Amino acid sequence: MEPEKRKYAIYAFCLIVFFAFVIRLAYLQLFSTEELTKESNKNSVKTITLTPPRGLMYDRNGKILVDNKPSYTVTITPSQFDKNNLNEISSVLEIQPEILMENIKSIKGTNKFNPAKIKRDVDFKVISFIAENKERLSGVDYQIEAIRYYPNNFHAAHSFGYASEITPKQLEKQMGDYYNQGDVVGSSGLELNYENYLKGVKGYKFITVDVKGREIGGLNEGKNDIPPVNGSDLILSMDKDLQEYAEKLMNDKRGAIIAVDPHNGEILCFVSKPDFDVSVFAGKLDQKVYSALANDPDKPLFNRVTQTKYPPGSTWKMMMSLSAMAADIITPVSTIACGGSFTFGNRTFEDHGAYGNINVTRAIEVSANVFYYKLGLQLGIDNYNKYGKMFGFGMKTGIDIPNETSGLLPSREYLDKRYGENKWTQGLMVSLGIGQGELGVSPVQMVAYTASIAMNGLYCQPHFVSKIKNSITNAEEFVKFEQRRIDMPQKYYDAVKKGMYLVVNGSGTAQAVKNSEFVLSGKTGTAQNSSGNNHSWFVGFAPFDDPKIAICVLGENAGWGATFAAPIAAALMVRYLGGSGYEVEGDLKIVNGVPD
Amino acid sequence: MKKNFFEGIDLVLLIITLAILTAGLLAIFSATYTSGTDYFSKQITFALFGILIMLVISYIPPRIIAKSSYYFYILALILLVLVLFFGKKISGSKSWFSVGGFGIQPSEFAKIATILALSNFLSSTDDGFRNVNKPVEFLKACAFVIMPVVLIMRQPDMGTSLVFLSMILPVLFWAGLSPYVIFVIVSPAVVAFGAFLGMNYFIAALILVALILLMFKRNIFLTAGILVMNFVIGFSVDTLYKKLQPYQQNRIKAVFDPSTDPLGSGYNVIQSKVAIGSGGFTGKGFLQGTQTQLKFIPEQWTDFIYCMIGEEFGFIGSVAILILYMIIIFQLVNNSYLSKNRFLSVACIGFSSIIFFHLVINVGMTIGLMPVIGIPLPLMSYGISSLLSFLVMIGIGMSAYRYRNQY
Repeated sequence: MEPEKRKYAIYAFCLIVFFAFVIRLAYLQLFSTEELTKESNKNSVKTITLTPPRGLMYDRNGKILVDNKPSYTVTITPSQFDKNNLNEISSVLEIQPEILMENIKSIKGTNKFNPAKIKRDVDFKVISFIAENKERLSGVDYQIEAIRYYPNNFHAAHSFGYASEITPKQLEKQMGDYYNQGDVVGSSGLELNYENYLKGVKGYKFITVDVKGREIGGLNEGKNDIPPVNGSDLILSMDKDLQEYAEKLMNDKRGAIIAVDPHNGEILCFVSKPDFDVSVFAGKLDQKVYSALANDPDKPLFNRVTQTKYPPGSTWKMMMSLSAMAADIITPVSTIACGGSFTFGNRTFEDHGAYGNINVTRAIEVSANVFYYKLGLQLGIDNYNKYGKMFGFGMKTGIDIPNETSGLLPSREYLDKRYGENKWTQGLMVSLGIGQGELGVSPVQMVAYTASIAMNGLYCQPHFVSKIKNSITNAEEFVKFEQRRIDMPQKYYDAVKKGMYLVVNGSGTAQAVKNSEFVLSGKTGTAQNSSGNNHSWFVGFAPFDDPKIAICVLGENAGWGATFAAPIAAALMVRYLGGSGYEVEGDLKIVNGVPD
Repeated sequence: MKKNFFEGIDLVLLIITLAILTAGLLAIFSATYTSGTDYFSKQITFALFGILIMLVISYIPPRIIAKSSYYFYILALILLVLVLFFGKKISGSKSWFSVGGFGIQPSEFAKIATILALSNFLSSTDDGFRNVNKPVEFLKACAFVIMPVVLIMRQPDMGTSLVFLSMILPVLFWAGLSPYVIFVIVSPAVVAFGAFLGMNYFIAALILVALILLMFKRNIFLTAGILVMNFVIGFSVDTLYKKLQPYQQNRIKAVFDPSTDPLGSGYNVIQSKVAIGSGGFTGKGFLQGTQTQLKFIPEQWTDFIYCMIGEEFGFIGSVAILILYMIIIFQLVNNSYLSKNRFLSVACIGFSSIIFFHLVINVGMTIGLMPVIGIPLPLMSYGISSLLSFLVMIGIGMSAYRYRNQY
């Protein structure tokens, strides 16, 4: 076969296929057009995403804390929208016409035949207006969606966190492609930490739509639909009534409260004030509201329970006592002479009293500074760091909300780096001995430490969530949190706890809050603050013999521990234990404090 | 001199290529413009880049290409091995290297390298082509194609493997393989297809094959032997069919009756037929196609881009696109015929057969004549590797025109 013949053979083969295709195209496009156009107009399958409602949050007694409520979202379908109505719609929705136009255009992941979410959480009046004028306002419609609802009259803003419409930045950063524009995502607190449980699983509905994207009916009687899975509910250990009372006590103040069940680290109440009303973020995260909060000099967004690092002041004295006993510097009965002051090198450190020769229990009761100046020196930085770590300082407690601080527990390396090698003196240890100086702790670290003393060394990771209720099986699954034992002879804990008992029930610094019904115990603290009034601390637990609650209260710039923090802590412990408590309504009666 | 420089440009290939590229870009624009993706801008950038490459390649003398062809081929084989280890898995196949946010498909490069190596092999004789009617030479030539195919099957990428196999017969036919041999190779496929359709078709196909074999008037024993082979192959179709991946079985089933699986493998075929058919004679107009704009066809900008042409530009647009491809293929075959350089002559046939195969499978799939095999429509589907590889092929095709009088 010569080349020319081969060329024509190839041409012929190609032409046969070509004409076969043209005939097929003619069959489809010229002779079946009517039928297929009908098909295209009526029987086109469209997938509608069904977003399930988020899981709810309940308190330890099954009372609702975070709920959902229906809200109206106005949508606009760009392909049907009549631009002549732009001004009318924009005035009804209170959105500027230019911004409205931008919004309609810029919605990603959808197309002009699908409704785009324009405004969430719209007033019912607006919805009835849209419903009445439906014929005229083509393309404008509304959807009912679930948004967060907080039925109680307290905030717990830092605990719950907020779930808002996903921001373009979050959308870009997400792993995978679960979220689309208009979806709600947990952005802080428990909402963020438990996002994977709370969000549920999206479902899909297949509908047939006409040429204009209008719904005609379900596909295959809904047999192919994939129903959404509701988010799982969180059962928190929080006590709703205690939380409400705690927020009332801290109203208009600046500070933090955290109380836990010392047996397992379950958080009973958690307050950081000033705070904000999370419901303002339930729909869309309003940038104006958000930046007002972010720029507020009182820092309402700052979580004072997990993010502050102040020196603990005298509440550190149990830590020092246990460290010194464990390091064999003192025994539970050995005494140290406590004059009114202590001189180290050429510097004199003052105390608020002279107590003579006292043991560790008495030293805690009266908060003797000289006792701990001396212990600080003898303990040295390495032991200071070693035992501090054992009680969870200088590291995160692992509380189940994000952005916790590790605080600051000084070490030899730290001081060498801070001051230069051998450029710092033992004098630093004197201040560190009484919980002042370069030591930073957060209330959540303090409450875990206090609870572990109350439980004779059982250290529990503080946490909010006790159970997660699976929305499909309705089974409640326990969430596992860490517990560990801090191994020390029981007599060390006894000596320290006795001191804490006497602080309230003896001649100690918090005797003003002694309660007739329940045996409270604790320790006051005052953190010296170079830039303002001192911070007021109190840590404690109750009842003394069988601890059911451990608490830490911090008052920013509120003065002595006994003045501010102790009365609030006492009131909360008594209330939780079921006593009549203190008659505290509105402002707490400030007792006459004593220095610690 | 300067005049000559431009004189050698194959204007037919250049203009038609630009026309197809433009149609493809319009189609991608339409298919993606409500989705907020940047496929259009990526494709147009690489199209411009590719045109430049195509023009540069069209100036390279055939000698240089022929000399380097074996090196390219070895490099391509190495890349195909590497992708099995370091490739990125996308929808079940390890076919891609991920480089700086772009996916690079070594099998696209291997297509060109294999054709060039095979062409070099067939033409590296003193006079005429190697005699591929000799079994040894025939098998050697086939080996050039089989090696990359084995590697690509490992990815696994069925569609691309078929593309490689599709070029063997046209290339060898051009190099002088006798029509009788070709018929012997093709006939089992026809019989197997008949067997797949049913007993009656199987028998009809066998009779047809027997008649044609008799027309070749070869040795009667040979003819009978071939007929028996056909019979056995037709009989074992069922066993082979069961060895396919279930999704491949479904795809084949859905070709013959898409309604058996309207939401699965038949979905695309039904929707694309509806899209094309509803376009009518003149189409619904640019950006007005409801099937395209409502995204009934997933990832339409890749393998189902032809639907958009059918829906928005109708019968006229669909046929026009086919004609453009026909011109490209005919021009490549004609360049091949005119070229006195045997190497480029074979290469052009290889390229035209690959473009033809892509066209037939891809368009055939959208109009419901071929199974759903995921291979792109040349120069139109979104995909950078494929776009550049086709432009390089056409570039070499243009060089065949320029140097047609050089031996």
